[in-house]
Amino acid sequence: MTMAVTAGRTGRTAISPRAAVLAYLAVAGVVFLLMMLLGLTMRLAQAQWIDVPPNFFYVVMTMHGAGMVGIAGLSSAAVMWHFVRRHDPVSTAVFLTNLVFFLIGAVLILGAGFIGGFGAAWTFLFPLPAHSGGLWSVNAAASYLIGLIFIGVGFLLLHLDIARGILSKYHGLGAALGVKQAFGLAPAEAGPPPAVTASTMALIANILGIVVGAAVLVISLVNLYVPSFTFNTLAAKNLIYYFGHTFINVTIYMAVIAVYEILPVYSHRKWKTNWAFYLAWVLSTVFVLTVYTHHLLMDFAMPTWTLVAGQVISWLSGLPVLLVTAFGTLTVVYRSGLRWNPAAALVFLGVAGWAIGVIPAIADGTIAVNSVMHNTQWVPGHFHTYLLLGMVAMVLGFMTYLTNPQPRYGFAWLGYWLYLVGGVIFVIAFLLAGAASVPRRYAVHVAQWLPYDRIGSIGAALAIAGVLILVVRFFVGMRTAVLAEDPIG
Amino acid sequence: MSTRRLLIAACGFWLVLWLPPARSALESDMALHMALQMPLLIVLGVLLAAAARHDEPRWLASADWLGIPGIVAVVLGTSFWMLPLALDQAIADFRFDLVKFLTLPILVGMPLGLSWRRMPPLGRAFIWANFIPKLGAVGGLYLGAPTRLCAYYRIDQQELAGWTLIAVAIALGITWFIAAFIGWTPSCAQQASRHSAEGAGRQRAFGGASAA
Ligand code: HEM
Ligand SMILES: [Cu+2]
Repeated sequence: MTMAVTAGRTGRTAISPRAAVLAYLAVAGVVFLLMMLLGLTMRLAQAQWIDVPPNFFYVVMTMHGAGMVGIAGLSSAAVMWHFVRRHDPVSTAVFLTNLVFFLIGAVLILGAGFIGGFGAAWTFLFPLPAHSGGLWSVNAAASYLIGLIFIGVGFLLLHLDIARGILSKYHGLGAALGVKQAFGLAPAEAGPPPAVTASTMALIANILGIVVGAAVLVISLVNLYVPSFTFNTLAAKNLIYYFGHTFINVTIYMAVIAVYEILPVYSHRKWKTNWAFYLAWVLSTVFVLTVYTHHLLMDFAMPTWTLVAGQVISWLSGLPVLLVTAFGTLTVVYRSGLRWNPAAALVFLGVAGWAIGVIPAIADGTIAVNSVMHNTQWVPGHFHTYLLLGMVAMVLGFMTYLTNPQPRYGFAWLGYWLYLVGGVIFVIAFLLAGAASVPRRYAVHVAQWLPYDRIGSIGAALAIAGVLILVVRFFVGMRTAVLAEDPIG
Repeated sequence: MSTRRLLIAACGFWLVLWLPPARSALESDMALHMALQMPLLIVLGVLLAAAARHDEPRWLASADWLGIPGIVAVVLGTSFWMLPLALDQAIADFRFDLVKFLTLPILVGMPLGLSWRRMPPLGRAFIWANFIPKLGAVGGLYLGAPTRLCAYYRIDQQELAGWTLIAVAIALGITWFIAAFIGWTPSCAQQASRHSAEGAGRQRAFGGASAA
């Protein structure tokens, strides 16, 4: 009673933190589905089952890439915020501000693509946005870049606010990361909770990435309107991937918090953090800031040592956290008497998808392999594996966890299996096509490639049907979930 | 230091900068102009703010809600004096230079000194996170420009200025990062915890309200 009065006296609209998280997830559910339909459109076009004009294919590809990367960030930020909030004071207002900035940015980006015809890929590599060959206007390209700036500013605020909350409790980001525990200088039991460690690495990586991204976005904007301002294209590429790679890479480190928090709830075992856990996160923090160089393996103008470093770091980058997570997952689950339900199964699948997807990625991060596989569908093959079957699985697990405390799971199991089987078929079709040297980012495929495209299309359709089921049941459960506590047991 | 001494020191400092030897030396080079003279003028204003803090009128303090108006002035002032046109005019016309010598301490340095402490930690961090890429981007633009942007500086000076700004941006970024990493912000941290304690209270209140 007293509490309710306090809330009234502050005179603000009371959007509860939980409702805010659900709002994020509702947006995520819809956007994921729409973007998957765009993906299916591309696959069907490559399969020559539908007719899509090539220039529109590139609009769709740009929107799918930008939309997926953005919504991956947004949905995994919801996971992170939900759990870090239990340990550190963070602001719901800032969290919602990020959502608003995201939606504004999304409108600008969608307008750039579907109205303005912008199709320079989500990576907006300099100076392509300014060289449309008449397909899109300068304003369309600018709308895309400004949309990205909006999304970046929202995330910047969110991460800064989490940093503020974390710093108010820990003496420095190093302590929140668990640096002392990592090197055995403090007992691991006294270390920060996994959610805090992961959020700290995410904010370090993303704040630096966004700051760099903002600079290169402004420079690209100036170049659009005053083309005589030219920049070193290789420098611009470095900056863009520093931002782009980091942003998409960090989504998995935010989403993985769902694994640390949800599996223990169902298995009734605590997620044990030891020195190795903290060391892994410290190492991956260092790596995630430098691993973008694998995008430059074919740039002979880069100094050789950067390429060698990029190659070694690419091998190592994801591994520490992946290993401790996979190992921790097994120890939490093994013989715990866990009764599987779709939420637990989804986050478990997330770890598996991540682990499996990293293997072809590491192969591709090797210069010798990269000179063959670069720009083949091997690349969408590996990143769809750990994004669609890794990161998205964790988010879907979180959505299911929040909205279905009751064990009436039949419908959700159907969704789960459709999504899993369809997803596996879809990514294997990409990987096989890549192994057969089918290039990525081709709107029109030759006859020999069509079998891969068709099998991939069928897999994609099944996966989307599964995701649709999971998202629908999320919306059905949402009303009660606003008021509920997190499901326990 | 007492208020009076501070004030005298600030005025002396200003005069030294304004008198021809220092002024022409610092303005003869674009990088020195942007990366040394202007920051010094801003520092001067911050010193003035320290001197004037106790005499700040109450209405000013309360009008400066969360320090936002003051910091907006800082952002606008610094942005303006990064423009090539402004640099040129300052050299061409000593009256314009006087404007610079007055606005940088009074409209940038002083608000910085007064408003910064009123700004909540999130706001401060956001300002840093905007300022650093802005410096970098302006530096990049000086490098990428097809021609000389200032009539009074050679193209090699312009390039040096571009690199200097980029270097300053990187240095600031690294310093900021290290400070946050080892937690070297005693005053900020205290404030942060005060703010967040309020925030947590409010949130608990909201949680209670929505669960009821
Ligand atoms: C059923 C779901 C999905 C389908 C059918 C799909 C389909 C596709 C297709 C056909 C491509 C272009 C391949 C090529 O280059 O030839 C593509 C690219 C891409 N997809 Fe997906 N995708 C799906 C899910 C996702 C998810 C969940 C994400 C991220 C979270 C994602 C991110 C991307 C990105 C970043 C690209 C690269 C675009 C570019 O090359 O610029 N996709 N996808
Ligand atoms: Cu990458």
